[in-house]
Amino acid sequence: MDKLFLVDEKRKLFKTYQELFNDLSQYARLTKIINEKTPYEIFLAIVRSIISGETFELLDPDLSQAEIQRLGVQEQLCQKYIELKDVQIRDEKSLFDHIEKGCRTWRLGLYTSGTTGRPKVVFHSYDSLSRNLRMGDKHRNDVWAFCYNPTHIAGIQVFLQAFVNLNTIVYVFDVDHTEVPNLLEKYRVTHISATPTFYRSILVTMTKPIETVKRVTFGGEKFDPTILASIQRCFPRAKIINTYASTEAGTVLVSNGELFEVEDRLKNLIRVAEDGELLIHKSLIGQSVELKLEGDWYHTGDLVETTSDGKLRFIGRKSEMINVGGYKVNPNEVEEEIKKVEGVIDAHVYARKNVVTGNIVVADVVKADFADEKALEIEIHRQLESRLQRWKIPRILNFVSEIKVTRTGKKVRQ
Amino acid sequence: MDTRETLLTIINTILAKKGREQLVKLDENISLRKHLDFDSLDLAELTVKLEDATGIDIFADGIVDTIGQIIAKLDEGKGNG
Repeated sequence: MDKLFLVDEKRKLFKTYQELFNDLSQYARLTKIINEKTPYEIFLAIVRSIISGETFELLDPDLSQAEIQRLGVQEQLCQKYIELKDVQIRDEKSLFDHIEKGCRTWRLGLYTSGTTGRPKVVFHSYDSLSRNLRMGDKHRNDVWAFCYNPTHIAGIQVFLQAFVNLNTIVYVFDVDHTEVPNLLEKYRVTHISATPTFYRSILVTMTKPIETVKRVTFGGEKFDPTILASIQRCFPRAKIINTYASTEAGTVLVSNGELFEVEDRLKNLIRVAEDGELLIHKSLIGQSVELKLEGDWYHTGDLVETTSDGKLRFIGRKSEMINVGGYKVNPNEVEEEIKKVEGVIDAHVYARKNVVTGNIVVADVVKADFADEKALEIEIHRQLESRLQRWKIPRILNFVSEIKVTRTGKKVRQ
Repeated sequence: MDTRETLLTIINTILAKKGREQLVKLDENISLRKHLDFDSLDLAELTVKLEDATGIDIFADGIVDTIGQIIAKLDEGKGNG
């Protein structure tokens, strides 16, 4: 198969599916804790692990030794090799025969990003990771832009979606954002899945629409309706999909906008607690000894609103709520309002401690070149005064050149 | 900038947002709450901005109300620093 499997322009690495088959047919061993460095090595290790049918854990490529220790990873597992059985992958059929056999017993442990509390490892089966995969001739010629960390759940799901259809993967996760539109065009990408933050960063530099893209998926972060119009302009032929997923559960909800309709098969497996927190039934969750369940329910920490016709809208994270003198502020809400002001490109809202009110709200703002700082600050304040309750309005506004994001592409909450 | 000037600038920024008249100079007897109508959010903004500018947390150990008390805290903090 001469079809490209992976395009990794940053590392000047191009692999065809035939080359992948050849590599899979070589003798290999894997450590219990997979800690490969490059996208190809990571993907190759994932496929090998599936074929082996054993249990592995997957670490981010850029973790330091100290960080690995803090994750609670057992050091001896990093050195413990598993010799893999020899396999001969000659073609597509023999590949999927081996995958089919191995996937029944395969388990993959992923570490949650651990922004709050202790990080934990959650083990997924092939079934839980492939729950939302779409397969068939229709997907044969899809070309995927890869915009997530390949060791996190969203990345693994995109990888599997592309891999089971033998699609080309164009790795853009760590390329300079100004280069992304060129790569989408050059490789005639048809599918993108990324965080709103990733889209915002590439939209700024897109000068002309890209017609080849058929599907634009949002994931990893709360949906951002303020960029919908720009997305539609830049990808005029694309269908827009919004997903809700977590490291613990994989993809749970899919919709074509901000509101999620709960499918019938999930009706008894998803519920909303009195305080608005989304609860997911344990049968949808990967296994982890550290995961806290209350009865049969996993508390996601995500807050939702239920609309009058029973759809769900995500309003933020429970732990993200800023407590200003007893009033709760949802930073996402404030960010959205700031981003509506002309001249604002991006905003990040967080808490700053003080002894008077516990916290006050602070905003970092990225402004467009044409905007004057002083005038924009006054304008933001003026507009927020009419749209937000007083305690939600940022008392301190900093102009910054960029918003810091985490390795998963989410905004860093402080 | 001198700490008194810094204090005046910060107070005036907050007053401007509240739509109130600017102070021309710092009068030690002015009460932030009573005369300038500062509420807890205004006070929180003042303390954070002053801390950023001077490294001194004026509310760290107790309640401060008049401009004179703030200046005393700032002078005290500077002396210690």
